[in-house]
Amino acid sequence: MKTLWTKLYDWIDERVELGGLIEFMGKKYVPVNRHSVWYYFGGVSLFLFIIQVVTGILLLLYYKSGEQLAFESIQFIMSKVQFGWLIRSIHSWTANLFILTAMIHMFSVYFEKSYRKPREVTWVTGMLMLFLALGFGFSGYLLPWNELAFFATKVGTDIAGAVPIVGKPIMVFLRGGEDVTGATLSRFFGFHIAVLPGLFTVLLGIHLLMVQRQGMSEPMERGDQPAAERQRMPFFPNFLLRDLLLWLIVLNLLAILAVFFPWELGKKADAFASAPAGIKPEWYFLFMFQTLKYIPGKILFVDGEVLGILLFGLAGLLWMLVPFWDWKSSRGERNRFVNYVGIFVIFYIIILTVIGWIV
Amino acid sequence: MRPYVRSLAAAFIAFSAILSAASAQDKCLSCHEGVGGKPVELFQRDIHHAKGVTCAGCHGGNSKTDDMEKAMDKNAGYIGVPKGDEISKACAKCHSSAEMMKNLHSSIPTGQFEKLQLSVHGKLAVNGKERIVQCTTCHNAHGIVSVHSAASPVFPLNIVKTCTKCHGDPAFMRTYNPSLPVDQLEKYRTSVHGMRNLKGDAKVAECASCHGSHDIFPVKDPRSSIYATNVPQTCSHCHSDAKYMKEYKIPTDQYEKFSRSVHGVALLKKHDTGAPACNSCHGNHAATPPGVNSISKVCGTCHALNADLFSSSPHKKAFDERKLPECETCHGKHDIIVATNKLLGVTQEAVCSRCHSESQNAKGFEAARGMRSLIDSLESQEKTAVSLVEEAEQKGMEISEAKFKLRDAHQARLESRTMVHSFNQERFKEVVAKGLGVTASVREEAVDALDEYVFRRIGLGFATLAITILVVSLYLYIRRIERRQATGAE
Repeated sequence: MKTLWTKLYDWIDERVELGGLIEFMGKKYVPVNRHSVWYYFGGVSLFLFIIQVVTGILLLLYYKSGEQLAFESIQFIMSKVQFGWLIRSIHSWTANLFILTAMIHMFSVYFEKSYRKPREVTWVTGMLMLFLALGFGFSGYLLPWNELAFFATKVGTDIAGAVPIVGKPIMVFLRGGEDVTGATLSRFFGFHIAVLPGLFTVLLGIHLLMVQRQGMSEPMERGDQPAAERQRMPFFPNFLLRDLLLWLIVLNLLAILAVFFPWELGKKADAFASAPAGIKPEWYFLFMFQTLKYIPGKILFVDGEVLGILLFGLAGLLWMLVPFWDWKSSRGERNRFVNYVGIFVIFYIIILTVIGWIV
Repeated sequence: MRPYVRSLAAAFIAFSAILSAASAQDKCLSCHEGVGGKPVELFQRDIHHAKGVTCAGCHGGNSKTDDMEKAMDKNAGYIGVPKGDEISKACAKCHSSAEMMKNLHSSIPTGQFEKLQLSVHGKLAVNGKERIVQCTTCHNAHGIVSVHSAASPVFPLNIVKTCTKCHGDPAFMRTYNPSLPVDQLEKYRTSVHGMRNLKGDAKVAECASCHGSHDIFPVKDPRSSIYATNVPQTCSHCHSDAKYMKEYKIPTDQYEKFSRSVHGVALLKKHDTGAPACNSCHGNHAATPPGVNSISKVCGTCHALNADLFSSSPHKKAFDERKLPECETCHGKHDIIVATNKLLGVTQEAVCSRCHSESQNAKGFEAARGMRSLIDSLESQEKTAVSLVEEAEQKGMEISEAKFKLRDAHQARLESRTMVHSFNQERFKEVVAKGLGVTASVREEAVDALDEYVFRRIGLGFATLAITILVVSLYLYIRRIERRQATGAE
């Protein structure tokens, strides 16, 4: 006698050939080694992204874009909508945790040289997704239309405007005019819920497809070991269930953060008010913001701020293109230089972020 | 040579010239006496003539010679009749030099010219060539006498006419400040100051007493002695001087009381220029104490609603009949304190019981007691609502709407205080009821927010428990699978 579940499985299997998929998943293995813990950060980032999509859609049911409505609609969500406070707080907390886990994921991949051939496309799509995540953060920050967001957006777009030649048009494009106004809010809303998610989904599709096709990268030192000696575990169900376990813990952490530290709304933005003291960007932009403060006004004949922005741009580009200039790792050789660069970047980001936070 | 040595030398040379001219016979005067004319006649009564200053002191030239060409030689410094700013400069030659004034045995202060230049009168005239006012505009040119002399145009009894020459001329004033009234003299003559001045009392305030003499600034200039925050000090200059005011037999503690009052604190400590100064109630040029019947109108220029309610209340008639000053009876005058609920009711501090006693006027007594009880309960409800909202806010709850409503509650309490002046219990109850309604709604929202705060924590506890059970189950399930896989592999 077949159970109801078996009948249901058979019904679906006859139509979509589940057997093939399960067979494929059953053959997938995840390397087990002392660095295995880092593999989970990709999954956690994916989970957080899914939360963002779900909570974002829920917020969309009540959020109203526009200078006169945005702040009030968030206020309404926070105070009148059932569990609106929870959804909004989780959305805000997840946004920050997502960038954090994505960065941890990126650095773990970097130090393990998992970007090396043949995973260059996976690395580049991952990096592009991280940049998009920063765009999500920047655009989403303005949507409540509160005082801090308003002035942070002003400062942020001003910095973009300092880039030579293309800066000014980019700034005007982002703001929808010369100043941060309701037009900027409409644009940022559009970027946040349509443009960025569209691009992100395409990149995420490629990224996941590549991971599934190529499997997870083995650490370089295990390259010499015979395949039979390498420890591994099945992706399904072992690794997937472990992923699920971690996701549940992260979900609990988010609930705790949302209840004990509900995301504040602050004061409504007022274009005519003077900027409050100590305007700072979100923590993930803080190291760049702090660096720009330290750069002198003029270095030779170049504007200090412009030079800083160009250097960050160049550094970001080189970082993204690491698989293409780290030939040694691709050949299976050790490349200490890449490690030193990575360690320097991590320390630089942490120290400048802490200084920016304290000062 | 150091600058001060140079100045001393210059002063000495100029002084020697003037004195030597004076010591010799003033040839200018002796010749011009023959020609006759008003200036010569006036100059002989001039204080400068008495002090030995010759015509050359102002006109330049050589007054020791009777040779006209030498006397009026431009090389000898002859300038003829000074024009425009040259006039004040000629006066300033001595009046801005302490050394010169000392040598002329004069104790009058120096620096008038510099003050005049900075003042509103020191601005450029419409012709753009000279300043509006020169020394001679007020002091005359020849025949100048001491300011303490009754003949001086700036003597207290004469100065109002002197100022009015320009300030009472609409055609002239229009060219500088069309919005400035030109009826100050008429108003002044209706004031206590003006009437006494007309009777020959030189001690009472005239134009210069309040506006200053050389350093006059527009009323909106904080340097002006009649700028809102400076007015009380200006008035108190005379009115707080017991010795000076002795003969007028009026109190001299107004400034002291005012500076302690709600108005005084706002004006003098908080620098709120919208707060009333002396002139706001007593008037400016027509300064006089407001009459008993018109006090509510005077106070009503700011406290309009209170005044209207009072005028249509039963108290108006009662106060008029008993000749009680309206607002002042309950609130006082110069020492008005912040009006709190304590003023209302029948307690010892309350003012109602001064007239309404339980035995003689039971109806009024009960009304006062009832109104006090209502306003107290509104205040206490508002305090409770505020503390609940603060507590909810501190706990991180979004409660901005209730917080916004608190303004309505506060407004209702202010309205109820105003409504006290109608002395109508029904109208008062209506306003208080509105306030109580708002505070009840705020309280309800704040309590809901606090309940929600507890609910969230309990909810989180349940969610955490459920997730923990799931996590543990999952962990055990993974272990079971892996054990089975290990057994299978063996």
